[in-house]
Amino acid sequence: MGALAALVVLWAATFGGVPDAEGATLVIHVQTSEGHALPGAVVMAQPLDGTVRKVTPLRAVMDQVNRAFAPDLLVIPTGSTVEFPNSDSVSHQIYSFSPTKRFQLPLYHGKPYPPVHFDQAGVVTLGCNIHDDMVAYLIVTDAPFFGRTDGAGVWSSDVTRGRYRVTLWHPRLRDNEADLERELTVGESDRVELTVRLTKALQPAPLTDRPHSWDY
Amino acid sequence: MSRTRAIAWLTLAAAAVPCWANTDWELDLDARLVSSNAEPSFMEGGLGTTRFSSNDDGLQLGRARLALTQSLGDLLSAHVDASIYDDKDRTPVGVTEAWLLFRPYPFAGYRFRLKAGAFYPPISLENRAPGWDSPYTLSYSAINSWLATEVRPLGIEGTLDWLGTRTGHRFDLGVTAGAFGWNQGTGVVITNNGFSLTDRQTPLFGRVGQPGADPLGGAEPFLQFDHHAGIYGGIELRYLDRVVLRALRYDNRAEPAGDEVTPPNYSQWTRFNTAGVRIEGDHGWTAIVQWLDGETTTVADGVPGGVSSWPFRSEFALLSKRLGRHTISARYDRFTVDSVGAWGYGAQDGHAWTAAWLYDITSHWRMAVEWLQVVSSSSSREDFGGPPLLTETQLQLSIRYSLGSGIY
Repeated sequence: MGALAALVVLWAATFGGVPDAEGATLVIHVQTSEGHALPGAVVMAQPLDGTVRKVTPLRAVMDQVNRAFAPDLLVIPTGSTVEFPNSDSVSHQIYSFSPTKRFQLPLYHGKPYPPVHFDQAGVVTLGCNIHDDMVAYLIVTDAPFFGRTDGAGVWSSDVTRGRYRVTLWHPRLRDNEADLERELTVGESDRVELTVRLTKALQPAPLTDRPHSWDY
Repeated sequence: MSRTRAIAWLTLAAAAVPCWANTDWELDLDARLVSSNAEPSFMEGGLGTTRFSSNDDGLQLGRARLALTQSLGDLLSAHVDASIYDDKDRTPVGVTEAWLLFRPYPFAGYRFRLKAGAFYPPISLENRAPGWDSPYTLSYSAINSWLATEVRPLGIEGTLDWLGTRTGHRFDLGVTAGAFGWNQGTGVVITNNGFSLTDRQTPLFGRVGQPGADPLGGAEPFLQFDHHAGIYGGIELRYLDRVVLRALRYDNRAEPAGDEVTPPNYSQWTRFNTAGVRIEGDHGWTAIVQWLDGETTTVADGVPGGVSSWPFRSEFALLSKRLGRHTISARYDRFTVDSVGAWGYGAQDGHAWTAAWLYDITSHWRMAVEWLQVVSSSSSREDFGGPPLLTETQLQLSIRYSLGSGIY
């Protein structure tokens, strides 16, 4: 039994990450203007050759815990819904005035509210009308391949072969997003890598070590 | 009602609050161990510049506080902040702030808010913790101590904010305007005692000084004598969540009158300009610089043409470092009051150093140690037979217990 398990692990390690004959692995490295890895950047790869791959909408959750959004950034496909349950015992009033989705949501402890439907691609900035220091982002995307860079500033996905537009987003980005768009072709190779380096320094990170009860 | 019974009532009220719907609440109990060589403070009828005097050595009540915030539908909320200070005020429990807030949801990057009630104008960059407390030191700066003692508009305030940081910019901008009454006794403490460094907030319609005890004699700052409404207007500029710059002009527009006209108090025309900046950086650093420059004018009874003015000015600089649960802060205050006109009374000049260490043991318990030294000259003190120049030192150890719907 032990030998069989070892064989399965060996098979998975050897072949598990290799895409089938129709696809390849797209690897995007995101670097700051100083050349350091940028973790947490949103990467979206949109096919340009007319192939449409429908992504199943998600049912995501963005909670409110200790006067903060948890998580404070979600990437969701167009058509997804997000639930805002409020695990705090204090009230929150969530809002967005972003053109992508305008909504207002009074959240009282123990009073669930129906999930919000996001049917248009774009960036949704969320705030709380009671607690000014609360901020979160929803990135709604039509791209079939998306995700966030890991601690090494790398995002990868198995994609079908073809031509792609790769776009980036990060809450601290000062570059014009259009300047960071790249087009590439995933052709014969099984692995296509691209490095995108920002041209401007990131704006300072939000301060995290101050109590939420203080005036912002 | 005794202080102990008052604290018991606050605690009982807090225990009942969780039963109410959509009510956020906070309860704080702050006990102090005090060692001081200061003269009696204005609350004891003296001219000391610190909250606790040499008569107060030992265990003291710092503050017992209950605050309630009740949502009234989605767009309205009500807030009441009640406190007990063991300082012989008229009633043991006093309300320091109480307001109704109309806060429609932001629209297209703009946000409007309307507040009605009794509240502090948006001046302090130091008093940002719940209950208008300072999270850096126990004693407030001279500027904010004076606001806590004498400035509490009762009226309405409108604020319009452009939320640039929520629309891809790095700045937010806000403008505020207020119209108010019941601040026409404001200035009486500056006139008689000058600046002090305290953390006692005069409750609404509360008293300063003790009846029959010079120089204040139990005066009341929160009074209205004529039909003039006071006004203030200010701006606030923010850079991300790191820099806040505030400037404000306040004018209570009172008609100056002596205590023959407004017995037993004085109507004081008090106006000031103030500006300050708070910078917060990485690794827990905070720097605050604030400036306030104003003048109060009243009439000296029995003196022909006896209009007197007291121009006053104060600045402070605070540097604080937050290290996990520890906050270490140092502050330098400078203050001066001139006496111009018939009265010839109440000039003061001084500076103060404050050093404090605050330790959040848990989310409920906080310990703090503060050393405060004030060096001041005072013509009032000299008039009452005291030394013209005095160094007062106050050492406090504080233990505070906090409970509330937002404290886990």
